[in-house]
Amino acid sequence: MSMTAAATIILGIMVAIYIIAKYFKLSTELAMLAAALSGSMAGGTWLAPRHIAEGASTYLDINLIFISATLFMNILKAAGGVAFVVRAILKRFHKTRITMLMLLALLLLVPGALTGAGSVTVLITGGLVAVVLSFMGITKVRIAAIVFIIAGLSAAAPPVSLWAMMTAAGVNMPYVGFFLPLLIPCILLALTTIFILGWKGERINLEKAFAELPPAPEKMNWIRVIIPFLVFGFLVFMGRQWPHTTPIVGLPLMFLLAALAAYLLSPVKIEIYKISRETIKQLLPLIGTLTCVGILVQMMTLTGVRGLLAVTAVTLPVVVVFGFLWVLLPISEAVLMYGAAPVIGVPLVLLFNNIGLDPIIALAGMSVIWPLGDAIPPTAIIGRLTVDVVGFKGSYGTFLKTCLVPGLIIALVGTAMVVFSARLGFLTGL
Amino acid sequence: MLLRKLIISAFGLTVLILGGHSFYSHRHLKEAVVLGPGVTDVVKLGDYFDGIAGSINDCNLYILDSGNPGATILILGGSHPEEPASRLAAWLFVENGLMTEGRMIVALSANRSASTVTRLSGAYPSDFTILTKWGGRKFRMGDRWSSPLDQWPDPEVYIHSPSGQELAYVDIRNFNRCWPGRANGTITERACFAFMEMIRKEKVDLVIDLHEAELQYPVISTIVAHERGEELATFVSMMLPDMEGFNMGMEFSPKALHGLSHREIGDFSDAVSLLFEAPEPFLDATRGRTTREQLLTGIDEFVVKAGKAGLLFEKIDEKGWHIDVRIGRHTSAILQTMESWTEIMPDRPLSCEGVPRYAEVIENSTGHYLHNPATSSKVLYE
Repeated sequence: MSMTAAATIILGIMVAIYIIAKYFKLSTELAMLAAALSGSMAGGTWLAPRHIAEGASTYLDINLIFISATLFMNILKAAGGVAFVVRAILKRFHKTRITMLMLLALLLLVPGALTGAGSVTVLITGGLVAVVLSFMGITKVRIAAIVFIIAGLSAAAPPVSLWAMMTAAGVNMPYVGFFLPLLIPCILLALTTIFILGWKGERINLEKAFAELPPAPEKMNWIRVIIPFLVFGFLVFMGRQWPHTTPIVGLPLMFLLAALAAYLLSPVKIEIYKISRETIKQLLPLIGTLTCVGILVQMMTLTGVRGLLAVTAVTLPVVVVFGFLWVLLPISEAVLMYGAAPVIGVPLVLLFNNIGLDPIIALAGMSVIWPLGDAIPPTAIIGRLTVDVVGFKGSYGTFLKTCLVPGLIIALVGTAMVVFSARLGFLTGL
Repeated sequence: MLLRKLIISAFGLTVLILGGHSFYSHRHLKEAVVLGPGVTDVVKLGDYFDGIAGSINDCNLYILDSGNPGATILILGGSHPEEPASRLAAWLFVENGLMTEGRMIVALSANRSASTVTRLSGAYPSDFTILTKWGGRKFRMGDRWSSPLDQWPDPEVYIHSPSGQELAYVDIRNFNRCWPGRANGTITERACFAFMEMIRKEKVDLVIDLHEAELQYPVISTIVAHERGEELATFVSMMLPDMEGFNMGMEFSPKALHGLSHREIGDFSDAVSLLFEAPEPFLDATRGRTTREQLLTGIDEFVVKAGKAGLLFEKIDEKGWHIDVRIGRHTSAILQTMESWTEIMPDRPLSCEGVPRYAEVIENSTGHYLHNPATSSKVLYE
């Protein structure tokens, strides 16, 4: 049997088992695990415990970041810091909607741009921005869409864009010349998104807002709020400014140290054990998803299914590739997350380079599109995280529909950057 | 509900025990090295820099000294242990080589940490076996990056020293992105620093860093040369088709791309630095089933399909790229480099006997040149 036939059959079995598992009301995580195991069995590798364990560890670092960052924000919230900041922002800027929206977009762009992770944006500033937006009369579903889309753009924004960095490394290209090609579309698209989804709303009724908002503890002040963020920012800054004399602590420990600062500076007593338990309970579905996605990807790689999808994608005619970038990149992200960069990004950049396009601009355009896939199942990690953090209780499909218009604009801009990359080469400054 | 929990717990426990056993066995697999007639000494990398002594990256350095005047050449195998032909080509020198002029130093596991782990989501086999007449020799399959068990966590961005160039965060564990290393850096950076110390102290004249690359990577089947090695690399590239029967291109080491051996060793020592790349379809993102067989034969229908679509930088057909072919390319290229070096610099010759060349490795297979540790008195383990 040819490799193509075998991989196609295995893929068919995995899809069938996933559908059957969902029919029998298994959770998405267990359905993915069942699909992965069925793929392994069909591929003749049986249980493959090593690969299950290795796949399950793939996103361990990301899980640790989620847990530590959420714990930080939950402590800050319990300390009354979030309520204090929201009240202050509303009081200062409630009259000028444009300024308010632009500031909030900026607030969402910074954490992801610095760390390369949209999840960090959602966890650090997403919740805070969501509360402010809700008092601007914007529906929860639109708020979730705003936070998700801009969090994705923040991850693509410079200085750290993991998709661009990993793809560049895969084609032996220095990560140089990407700053403006990434910064300009990310800022413009973030503003476009927040104005499209956030323009319509009510004028803020300050009295009503203040009455509805939980009160901030009397002793809460800016110093108590800002210092934990400064601790985090200082640790990031130290690592950047003096990378070779500063110990590498990693993002999870940075968030934990910020959480410790928030705990120590809290004007009210914090029940740390209870908050820790609640944080884990809150994130357990997400952690489960990431773990099972890792196993699924590992089994797809083991059995050749990943190769089948990758080779099918990259051997399409160039015109078709251009036409389907907006589908191909988000789907690859949905299945492989950052793994999409080496699997799909590398061959595509080589293909674009071969036909005379500018690889830096083309890769920047692709990097802008990729994060859209973080809302699409089977992973939907950032999408689900955003819905959770914002507190949107409606159907996930409604959230996806709300993301559609800004998502299509982003896909269009990204694709245009790829197609016209040769003319936009001046942006690289090289 | 209880039954469901019990079933899931039992499943988890099974995976934990069987998976854990596999990881432990992989990390502690002893790879035999039968010392050949030319090995005059074996030292540790830590002998040159205390900062790496006793660590997992304190690898063996095999010295083949002719006792006759000449240059000193360093062969780096295992910079990226997911590229097995690079390690095995170096192995053939240790088990078979006899220097007649000059001196050779060989590392089989330049980044030993990376040889004890496989790539997350890569589904690599933990090991592979090279068949021999007396049985088989088992080797660890490794990763491109040092094991997180030895170096963790990663920073949110890797800033290379001393250039300050920003690289993907995982590359702080990439041995061939950490040159020239740092004395007080991570274990990967310290390993690079230790090698630099060794290169300087042993007055190494020529360094060859052996690699394999996916076929969709533009730097493939080539010699990447520091500017001081351009003449030598060009000479070798010209000689190989006639003398050995295969082509290897020649490329200049980009000055703006930092952390790589071909750039930094040349910049931070007196040695001429070259990097050899052979094709390894196993590394291609479009590869099909991830198996030991594919690793060894390099046969892959999907990679062939990618090639037909013009996405590859090296040819591939249904015959694939067998590991014997990849190893033979490396051994011949090294031997040809030594001969070319001697022609260019006759006062500092390099000459080695006993190591099979390209045609011989293909004809007799790699296993023919690996000796039986059970019947040998001089055996070490990697």
